[in-house]
Amino acid sequence: MIAPDGLAALDLVRLRTVVAGPIEARFALRPGDRPLVGPGEVVVRGAPLADRIREARTDVVVGPPSAEPGTWWVAPAGRRGVDAGEEGELLFRSEKRWRLGTGDPAEPLEAPFGGIVREVIPGSGLTIQTPARALLGVDVLAGSSAGRLHRIAARDGHVRASEIDVGAAGTILVVGSYIDAEAITRARALGVRGIVVGGLGVKERREVLASERRGRAGVHGLPPFAVLVLEGAVGRPIASPVMAVLDALEGRMVGIVDEPACLLVDDPDVELPTPRAGLVRVTAGPLAGAEGTFEGLAGPHRFAGGIVLEAAFVSLGSRSAVAVPLGDLERFA
Amino acid sequence: MTRAPSALAIIDAGRATTSVSLLTRIGDQWRLLGSLAAPAATPESTLLAILAARALQADPGLPARAELEPAALDAVPRLTARSRPPRTLVVLAASRRAGADLSAEALRTAWRVEVASTETHDPREMTELLLRRDVGAVLIGAGDPAGPDERAALDDLAALGGAAARRRPDLGIILGGAMRGRRAWLEALGENPPGDPARFLEVPAVRRGETAVRDVLERLLDDPADGRQRLRATTETLADLLDRRVELVEVGFDAGTRVVAEPGVAGADPTSRAIVTAEGALVPPDPDNATVDGVLAWTTGSLDRHRMGDRLRDLRGRPWVDAAGDGARLRLAAATAALARIAALTTELGSEPMADVTVVAGGAFATAPPAAIVLAVADTIRRPGVSQLAWDHARLLGPIGTIEDPGERRTLLGDLLRDALVPLGSVVVTGSLGMRRRALVRGRSRAGHLDLSFDGESTSRELRAGELTFIDLLPGSQAEARFEFSEAIRFGRRTRHVTVPVTGGLAGLVIDLRDVPLRLPERRDRRRSVLAEWSTQAWPGDER
Repeated sequence: MIAPDGLAALDLVRLRTVVAGPIEARFALRPGDRPLVGPGEVVVRGAPLADRIREARTDVVVGPPSAEPGTWWVAPAGRRGVDAGEEGELLFRSEKRWRLGTGDPAEPLEAPFGGIVREVIPGSGLTIQTPARALLGVDVLAGSSAGRLHRIAARDGHVRASEIDVGAAGTILVVGSYIDAEAITRARALGVRGIVVGGLGVKERREVLASERRGRAGVHGLPPFAVLVLEGAVGRPIASPVMAVLDALEGRMVGIVDEPACLLVDDPDVELPTPRAGLVRVTAGPLAGAEGTFEGLAGPHRFAGGIVLEAAFVSLGSRSAVAVPLGDLERFA
Repeated sequence: MTRAPSALAIIDAGRATTSVSLLTRIGDQWRLLGSLAAPAATPESTLLAILAARALQADPGLPARAELEPAALDAVPRLTARSRPPRTLVVLAASRRAGADLSAEALRTAWRVEVASTETHDPREMTELLLRRDVGAVLIGAGDPAGPDERAALDDLAALGGAAARRRPDLGIILGGAMRGRRAWLEALGENPPGDPARFLEVPAVRRGETAVRDVLERLLDDPADGRQRLRATTETLADLLDRRVELVEVGFDAGTRVVAEPGVAGADPTSRAIVTAEGALVPPDPDNATVDGVLAWTTGSLDRHRMGDRLRDLRGRPWVDAAGDGARLRLAAATAALARIAALTTELGSEPMADVTVVAGGAFATAPPAAIVLAVADTIRRPGVSQLAWDHARLLGPIGTIEDPGERRTLLGDLLRDALVPLGSVVVTGSLGMRRRALVRGRSRAGHLDLSFDGESTSRELRAGELTFIDLLPGSQAEARFEFSEAIRFGRRTRHVTVPVTGGLAGLVIDLRDVPLRLPERRDRRRSVLAEWSTQAWPGDER
């Protein structure tokens, strides 16, 4: 083991922040979406932030002779036949006519947590600052949502459609390492508000997004729904420090936002567990998912395929320390 | 009087990994003591401390001992190159054809390119694109004069650009061809537009053989601390030092590079041609089906499209993970696909004669076996000729390129030449073998023979069309290879007899008698079997 000291050597292992805060969460808007809040406003959970259009389109209207692009415009009353009933976002004016970003029907974007509105950019997004803490993931599909957290599988579990029932309506489900697209579709149909999963493959992502598009295009629309992916595309057990946080949040109200991709907890009374010092997790290779204690650098080692990589010794349970590529390890904070 | 430092740290802070190299002055020369790479967020001082500790443990009598002690490490001078996050360019055009012309030029830059035209997007969708936070600039272009398919939408596009300029004071706007000075643009922009007026640029229409659009786009990304952008300067210095034509190919996290440089003639400065392209990234941020298929085409495993998509997505998300075993093969398949994309975008460089020296660089190759790197280059950057391959294993070339002064750059690179570039070996590629007699292709008859003279001894071997052979030739050794073919082949010229000097390396001498360009079976199972046959020679210690 060649390293100046144990602590510096552990610095070579990538640090994964489990819980961060405070957070500035951003909600994307498209041209035609109408913000309902302004900078500096205080919002509570469930407050409407914006009206989102479903069937977005561009209309050509006479509009005002001079206005700033991005302004919300409503056709003046009494102009029968010309722009009657039109409203939307002014995009640009060409040949004395405005292109108007509009659509129908609108669906509300609700705040999944409380906070202060920091920035509103029509057609682009709005930002809310919150003192809430966030369990960080890597990706969120389908938008933002809020609900009571409920775990239905172990950290290495694989949930199938039959395991989700109507009792889960209104909750955000923790489903372990993997879930198939059919189960997500069923959860959506039963009124589940969100899914927290270790990994979600490309095929499942496409199916979720397609299902979401179909749902939003429907006459009645669907309540908010979001999938938070904690690890990546390949299914892996959820890391134990992450699972410990999820367990501590069981039964509590949480929100999912997509920028940053995270699970938000705005209850300051919840005590969230901190990871053990020296704990490392193997993220790839034959030991993927295993957790142990960092014992120090092992220097360059030869691994499968004749590849020589910098390695570290890791004690996994009662077994003697094994050499693991440094790049395949992560530690927690 | 201050003493000249006898230790130097060279840091290549990439977006995926950080590489730190420790140098010491021995006599009047800089020498490489060692290098270490780790995920990007790793503190550089930690990497340097570990390198210094290892160096002192290996040789306690190092002249730079005092400077390498833990307490003194912070004072070690550092030469650093840093990669910035990539930026997105939106190309707006009045027709699909015009959009394709513009994007073909934009793709040959480090911008990530998204194309929209009035035939494919409505004004609301185009506005949405321009308001996206990751979009750094928009190129709104048309022919000059505008084509009949463009004329109807020019004013709308100009007005849309003007409105975007008012809404986003940070957005760079480049007007090309007939879009320049258009009244609709000026009206939409209005008086006193927000932001810096220097963000509005004008370029001529895209024309074959002209690079005005590309030059402007590259200028917008110019960053003197970016190692990838400075690889061109290093390659020129290298060509000057070696007095050889040098080609450099690089595959990194966000982009890839291809540079061809020649030494100056009669005291003139060296010259070069270079392309840095975001298409050359190891894996793009959101790999689409074409990317997945491109990587599948170079794999010998049995992953289906979905599972390959999952693996590539994870490789993009955590590029330092899973670098051994199957992960190493996947990584190299992705790097090979990236090299193929770079080759497709740089056909004018590919049509030039093979360079005397080919340098392979970039984090994508950081952990690959040397022979597999050679095979990846031979598969993609191929033309008839002979080239000596070298590997920038410690990622020194980018940081060295950030040295502004050519003299200083030359001195440091001259000192480090042997340490910075690991010899991989020589590659001999012939073209058109078996074109006249198909029996040669099927391996039924001998296509020629090779006499390899090395250290006073000569060995002979038969050659067959389409074969790929790795012959052991130690690093540093020089030999002469004499080929005699039963029919004329392409080797710069058409000939049956070729005699070339070759040098050894970690992969030895590679005789590549496959087609130029490489033709692979269409059927996936046959293709895999052919690739597997070649890769067994390149992946030692692999039992599969």
